[in-house]
Amino acid sequence: MLVIRGGRILTAAAPGSDVPDVIDGGVLLVEGGKIVAVGGPELPVPDGADIIDASGCVVTPGFIDAHSHIGIYEDGLGWEGTDANECTDPNTAEARALDGINPADTAFAEALEGGVTTVQVGPGSGNVIGGEMLAIKCVGTIADEMVLRHATGLKAALGENPKRVYGSQNKSPATRMGNAAVLRSALAKARDYRRKMEAAAESPDKQPDRDLRQEMIVKVLRREMPLRVHAHRADDILTAIRIAEEFEIDISIEHCTEGHKVVETLAAKGIPCAIGPSVYGRSKQETRDRGAHTAGVLAKAGVKVALICDHPIIPQQWLRIAGGVAIREGLSDEDALLACTRNAAEMTGILDRVGTLEPGKDADLVIWDGDPFEYLSKTRCVLVNGTVVRCLCGTPCRSSSGQGGCC
Amino acid sequence: MLLAIKGATIMPVSSNPVAEATLLVENGKVKALGPSSKLAVPAEATVIDATGKYVLPGLVDAHAHVGLWSEHYGQANADGNEGSNPLTPEVRALDAVWLEHSSFADARAGGVTTLQTTPGSGNAIGGEMLVIKTDTVGKMVEDIVLRTPSGMKAALGENVKRYYGQSLKKAPMTRMGTAALIRQAFYKALDYQRKLEIGQADPAKQPDTDLGLIELLRVLRREMPLRIHAHRADDIVTAVRLAEEFDIDYSIEHCTDGVAVADFLGSRGARVNLGPTFGHRSKIETRALHFRNAALLAEAGCKVSIITDHPFVSIDYLILCAALSCAEGMPEDQALRAITLTPAETCGVADRVGSLDPGKDADFVIWSAHPFKIRSRPEQVFIEGRLVHKAE
Repeated sequence: MLVIRGGRILTAAAPGSDVPDVIDGGVLLVEGGKIVAVGGPELPVPDGADIIDASGCVVTPGFIDAHSHIGIYEDGLGWEGTDANECTDPNTAEARALDGINPADTAFAEALEGGVTTVQVGPGSGNVIGGEMLAIKCVGTIADEMVLRHATGLKAALGENPKRVYGSQNKSPATRMGNAAVLRSALAKARDYRRKMEAAAESPDKQPDRDLRQEMIVKVLRREMPLRVHAHRADDILTAIRIAEEFEIDISIEHCTEGHKVVETLAAKGIPCAIGPSVYGRSKQETRDRGAHTAGVLAKAGVKVALICDHPIIPQQWLRIAGGVAIREGLSDEDALLACTRNAAEMTGILDRVGTLEPGKDADLVIWDGDPFEYLSKTRCVLVNGTVVRCLCGTPCRSSSGQGGCC
Repeated sequence: MLLAIKGATIMPVSSNPVAEATLLVENGKVKALGPSSKLAVPAEATVIDATGKYVLPGLVDAHAHVGLWSEHYGQANADGNEGSNPLTPEVRALDAVWLEHSSFADARAGGVTTLQTTPGSGNAIGGEMLVIKTDTVGKMVEDIVLRTPSGMKAALGENVKRYYGQSLKKAPMTRMGTAALIRQAFYKALDYQRKLEIGQADPAKQPDTDLGLIELLRVLRREMPLRIHAHRADDIVTAVRLAEEFDIDYSIEHCTDGVAVADFLGSRGARVNLGPTFGHRSKIETRALHFRNAALLAEAGCKVSIITDHPFVSIDYLILCAALSCAEGMPEDQALRAITLTPAETCGVADRVGSLDPGKDADFVIWSAHPFKIRSRPEQVFIEGRLVHKAE
């Protein structure tokens, strides 16, 4: 049994939970890698428990980034470590981010230093359909063992990137119309494939040949996972919605740089938005209206908002800084925390495991020496699955018995 | 025209912060500053109440590409690298700075009032840079120049050899090749000097005009430094080797791996323009990137300026780079100096900007809170006593 005691616990729990959202001088019990109890100072601490004193600190769920390329876009390597875009065909739905993840990417350790414990990793935006995304924890040496959930979404992209990649080769798509047509055609083709699969359920001789690309897109048509559509400009956002409604699929908007211009539509249709990277320049035409105010505008309108680094565009460990700058530009402190925890988990489909500090959840949490969103704050201690993976001394310092170390 | 900013904590950078202080500005210059209780405000002054706020000098970025880079304008504004020849000392950033570029508005919004804008690192010698103010509205570049030329750009490491060697199959193809080109260029300038002198004695022997060599001679006469892009430690040492061989003034630009040779640099009191650090390690030569480097280089004796290298970190996030350097061990006063007075000194414009001292330009920012608080915003930004940005 491990006990975290004395800090200000921000649980990120939803209204109606047994756990309040803020507990001063809180106590949190961890056993078997899970949170077993969360309460106030009155919560009894079992005899013999290892205790981490979090007095004067802030305790939050491990931060979650709903849109990252960590591990597939490796730090410090350049071309050799760049495995995010299989730009050989504008539709590579069959590609899986899992197969490109290198757990040895040094960015994972820094992510933990910055309090980020879980990420949704996906292919880049060079293709109209890029491939399968997944949720992983930032700890491990074998990618498969880091997986929290496979197939959390299928990556798609509109706007400049795909039309630049293929248009420059005089191939389709060369325009925004082409982007949409490629996406629509892919969904239509997969719909046909689905029909054939379903027909084969009754007469096996009609079984179509295995087609991994179509199978992946069928998961989206069956609403087993959403299409996550890279869209910066307002017109691209609306194109994503148009196509989603046409094929009755779930979507999220990724980046959503001009989301503030179509906020009523996003709110009315209840479309979740993964916003960022906003602490960044106006690097291309479609991002010229980039600002850190977008998240605040959307959250106020009732849109489900997650903040993203889009690692490596903003290095993964700075998710908290993206939160701080968004707060400066109008996002509430409470919404900023949710945008880095519960909302990100919910949008990724992993809220049953992570995203809040409630009994039954994985014991992924961060002890901060101050406001997580401040420049000068640091993570004192980071736990993943109940194990201390990072602490102020810079290395895992807790022995298996829980004795020793600086925590 | 007399302006008084009252009630703020004033951080002049050149001296200790003063609480509940007043800043007096006259005709675009700092006239005086001190505790409000001691400094009388003349009746005719326009008074701005800044109670509870922080007043600092306008920020200075010693290495940016503001006004020169394509960004969201695309190819139409890609004027940072004259990639037609690895040696282009004759080109001048002055001729390419586009004052309507959105990066100027971003600079003002981020509290940056002075910056050195420079050619890129695609060439071994890239051309002249200049130091300008950021109040571009309704102006020509000549109106905002503080110093031109303020340095000659050079570059070592991956960029030059990737562009010429790898892409074009031309020299330089290696680090050796890049150093050789730079070295040969300076010897050529020395030969040119000799011929100019002969030509002075005997006009018939006057050599033809060579704009590039004329610029390199200015570097050799120490009228401006060579500002050498170098990330990896060995490139940094090569930069010093070249500079010392020709006895020229220099600064190390980026200096990402400088900590590996910190004592070597510190013993020379080297000027280091450090950054961009709020970004990923996009290539092998940037593997040592870390915010702790600022503190370590300063401790070793380097004169450290923190840079954005805009657009690689957007110019409005200069303050963030200093704050995170502070979080990683650089004392607060040093981190603030690294985005004000030190870059002003490095750019050779400290007589005008970089600190709030009587007689200096009244370039200052009213921050809503201490600038190292992430919720703090530059509420009002002044250049030479004129309001150039007001937060919404």
